[in-house]
Amino acid sequence: MQNLGFIIAGYGVILGGMLLYAVLLLRRLSAARRASLEIRRQADTATPPSDPPA
Amino acid sequence: MATRVLGVVALIAVVAASLNALFGVPADVNQGDAQRIMYVHVPSAWLGYLSFGVTALAGIGYLWKRDLRLDAVAVAGAEIGVMFTAFAIWGGMMWGRPVWGVFWQWEDPRLTTTALLLALYLGYLLFRRLTDEPHRRATRAAVVGIIAAVDIPIVHFSVEWWRGLHQGPTIGSPDKVLHPSAPGLFVLALVSMVIAFTLAWGWLMLRRYQLARIEWQMEEHGRLGRLSAARRAAQAAAMPPPDGAAEGV
Repeated sequence: MQNLGFIIAGYGVILGGMLLYAVLLLRRLSAARRASLEIRRQADTATPPSDPPA
Repeated sequence: MATRVLGVVALIAVVAASLNALFGVPADVNQGDAQRIMYVHVPSAWLGYLSFGVTALAGIGYLWKRDLRLDAVAVAGAEIGVMFTAFAIWGGMMWGRPVWGVFWQWEDPRLTTTALLLALYLGYLLFRRLTDEPHRRATRAAVVGIIAAVDIPIVHFSVEWWRGLHQGPTIGSPDKVLHPSAPGLFVLALVSMVIAFTLAWGWLMLRRYQLARIEWQMEEHGRLGRLSAARRAAQAAAMPPPDGAAEGV
């Protein structure tokens, strides 16, 4: 195969870049879901402010 | 579940189409094996257009409906479009050096307008970071995204409007789609790669959209939490001190 270096560089960066972006995106999504769940959990367990005495 | 299935199908399709493009299709008579880079360069360029088109359309939709879900679509399109446009430029450079003899030529209108498109949407992503208020950010970003999309047809038709190093479209017009000048095996490899990349794009868009929505909901929750805390503090300050508390002062 001629110009093998250019072909490897072309395919490597594009396919590898897509794969890397996909992995990082899944990690970002997973972290965001965890953080969102944590916020909801904290909001659910937080004691609501008591009503002022009449 | 459907998104997972799409992801698996896209992964298999990209691997299969890449193997076909690298080892199944014969080398081009004139360009040799360097022509194989076209099979990843062309789909990347197409997805750059598609992503930025989606960003612009979602921006128009947001300005019309004021629905933040459309802003989430817009940011997904911009981020993924930047990635695919960068890939298109990189693939073009790797193909250009063995075929043209140069990686890049600033005088070429297609290359220069594509670089401008990349810069415009990088600017769009940076511009979004200037404000935290979701609706203000979405409005401003929609305007920038729509203005930046003016460059998409300029990039596409630049090879017909001006003379440069970049060749004209091989299968750009409907007539060329029906009667392509390239051999059938080459067209089939290119079309299968375009389909595989588009499936992967669909999966990436869905995931990035989900992320944008969670981030927006967290932002909104944080804002509401701060607002609620401020209200409680204001109520506490306005309430008279309980009996006996004043005596200690």
